[in-house]
Amino acid sequence: MKTFEYTIKDNLGIHARPAGMLAKKVKDYQSSISIKKGDKEVSCSKLMALMGLGVKYGDTVTINISGPDEDIAEKEIKTFLETNL
Amino acid sequence: MKDKIFGVLQRVGRSFMLPIALLPVAGLLLGIGSSFTNPTTLEAYGLTNIIKEGGLLYTILDIMSKTGSVVFDNLPLLFAMGVAIGMAKKEKEVAALAGAISYLIMNATISTLIASKGGVEAMAPNSTTTALGITTLQMGVFGGIIVGLGVAALHNRFYKIELPQVLSFFGGTRFVPIISSLVYLLVGIAMFFIWPTVQSGIAQLGQLVLNSGYAGTWIYGIIERALIPFGLHHVFYMPFWQTSLGGTAMIDGVLVQGAQNIFFAELASNSTQQFSVAATRFMAGKFPFMIFGLPAAAYAMYKNARPEKKQIVGGLLLSAALTSMLTGITEPLEFTFLFVAPLMYAVHCVLAGLSFMLMHIFNVGVGMTFSGGLIDLTLFGILQGNDKTNWIWIIIVGLVYAVIYYFVFYFLIKKFNFKTPGRELDHEETKLYTRKDVNARKKISTGTDTKNNYSQSALILKGLGGKFNISDIDCCATRLRVTVINAELVNDSLLKESGASGVIHKGSGVQVIYGPQVSVVKSNLEDFMDTPESDDLDILLGDRPHVDTNNTKKSDKDNKGKPSVLCSPLKGKIIPLEEVEDEAFSNKVMGDGIAIEPTEGKLYSPCNGKIETLFDTKHAVTIVSDSGCEILLHIGIDTVELNGKFFKTHVSDGQTVKTGDLLISFDMAGIKKAGYKLTTPMIICNTDMYNSIKPVSGGQTLPKEKLLELK
Repeated sequence: MKTFEYTIKDNLGIHARPAGMLAKKVKDYQSSISIKKGDKEVSCSKLMALMGLGVKYGDTVTINISGPDEDIAEKEIKTFLETNL
Repeated sequence: MKDKIFGVLQRVGRSFMLPIALLPVAGLLLGIGSSFTNPTTLEAYGLTNIIKEGGLLYTILDIMSKTGSVVFDNLPLLFAMGVAIGMAKKEKEVAALAGAISYLIMNATISTLIASKGGVEAMAPNSTTTALGITTLQMGVFGGIIVGLGVAALHNRFYKIELPQVLSFFGGTRFVPIISSLVYLLVGIAMFFIWPTVQSGIAQLGQLVLNSGYAGTWIYGIIERALIPFGLHHVFYMPFWQTSLGGTAMIDGVLVQGAQNIFFAELASNSTQQFSVAATRFMAGKFPFMIFGLPAAAYAMYKNARPEKKQIVGGLLLSAALTSMLTGITEPLEFTFLFVAPLMYAVHCVLAGLSFMLMHIFNVGVGMTFSGGLIDLTLFGILQGNDKTNWIWIIIVGLVYAVIYYFVFYFLIKKFNFKTPGRELDHEETKLYTRKDVNARKKISTGTDTKNNYSQSALILKGLGGKFNISDIDCCATRLRVTVINAELVNDSLLKESGASGVIHKGSGVQVIYGPQVSVVKSNLEDFMDTPESDDLDILLGDRPHVDTNNTKKSDKDNKGKPSVLCSPLKGKIIPLEEVEDEAFSNKVMGDGIAIEPTEGKLYSPCNGKIETLFDTKHAVTIVSDSGCEILLHIGIDTVELNGKFFKTHVSDGQTVKTGDLLISFDMAGIKKAGYKLTTPMIICNTDMYNSIKPVSGGQTLPKEKLLELK
């Protein structure tokens, strides 16, 4: 189980496009990956739920990753967030 | 190809039904009105003192007679409009208007050309007439049908057309009457040159039919009956009844063509001594076998039913027999034996043909509005007096027919052990009364009224392969006529369970025979299809163990999405998702779907469901449909950057919505000016749940129109 926090730097937050990209990205891994904002936690692979979270600029989210490839997933998803969000 | 022709003919046939349905009423008015204003009749019944010309009663009767006549006189116009309505796929009222306009334009064009050639005198004798006060070529209902078919074709092609901005007022449905008018102006010119040739061709054919004598009448009768199972009889007899194929006659100085028109013109005329049999030979033959023969056949079937079933079968056969006797609607009865005993139907056809021939031989001059029941016999035979009609022969031949039908059917059933109603073995499906039992059982098992009302429609819909398998629905006098998308999904036994006495397949055309109540069945079905329950037939029909068909796999339900269809959320042009100028959409990163280039700034719900998330930026919304589909509607590309400017929301998170509810309105000009594209993708977020996501149509679309099919 890997956990890290990330603060959104993109002005527009996680809107449709980045949500779609993130949902696609997490499907590359066997690990189950979730995202938490406040006390709401959803699976990153569920696009609809991800968009429903309404993550905005300046929000801090917690990413939870657990599974066989969690190490690499953690690293790559961090990079993904930093480049895109 | 053959199936396609059948499909088209079937639609043409059923589009005749709207104008034809008016004829019994018009006939009733004309029949009563003209009978009791006819001096001969009045004298015969000793009524000359009670009904006098100029008196109140006479005037009322005269009004009835004239209003009935006006319908028959203007049938071509009614066909122009009726056929256009019947053949138009959507926005039928526009097709009707275009049909009327085109009919006027065509005739006005012809009229002008006739005048320029030197007037009526310069034309071939008897080749002209007046239609709605316009002097024109005698085209009969063909003229109306030519207009109706052509207008419908134009309508189906252009009713969604988009014109350049300056002309956009004239786009869409408004374009249909415009283009139809122009086209029929040209058609009018063409007809002026072509029709005289067609006229002489038809006249020669009509002469041939006339000269064919008794044998010709016999063959006509056989063909007319033999076409009933295919539902094409209307297409066959209509030209005889309504055009010069069925003869022409000069009545009170007016040239009338078509058997039925001749009869009714004679009826309206005071100078008729005897109705011309040359016309009624195409009609009178129906009376003996409809009033006498078929009911006797029903009695034979009743006699042959097993004792324990006699009571139930008796009730059903009696109602079918009475329908045939009174109204001349024979299908409910004919279909009880057509499917189980085609041989009996063949015999019936031959006997029916003979009936036509015998009426011809005995000079019976009784016409009809629609079919040969007691009502028409009374009005157009008995009331007119035997001198004019020789109606007595209908009774004589009819009585003989009753005996023949009874014994022939009795013998055939016994000899071949045909499984007519009440003779089925117990485990076999019983054709006529299953539905009753099912209803009775349902009343006990399921409480709510809605369920009962919908249960027949649900069964029919399921039997037709579900809502999304239906391309269009219509009905004629006795059958539901459906065009389906995939004919393999149609389940005959379910349809029969819903009360149908038979099902006919031909390519994608399906006819389900219910009898005269079919229009109610159709209306109920259409109402039902508009309800959310119709998306989930399995719940309604859940307590039916044997209903399961191959198109729903229940085991897959948990991890597969239910098949459903989403409607268009916008007015605009359909664009494949791959062509959207944003890779996140076009690469289907978020899921499969479709996009629309809107022409109106209003986003509507594509389904019944719940608003999941309305984006704070108001440019996108997600909806979960009642069938579990997760939908993202995203107005424009990169419009998130507008931060809500130009958008106005009409719903909120968690709200329940119905197909066509307004969700978001947006300022198209403003968004465009700000430099954003308006292309609006509709994405299925849970694409994985479906095997296929396909657009239903292309080109232009309108809100609430079916757009995307999920399976």
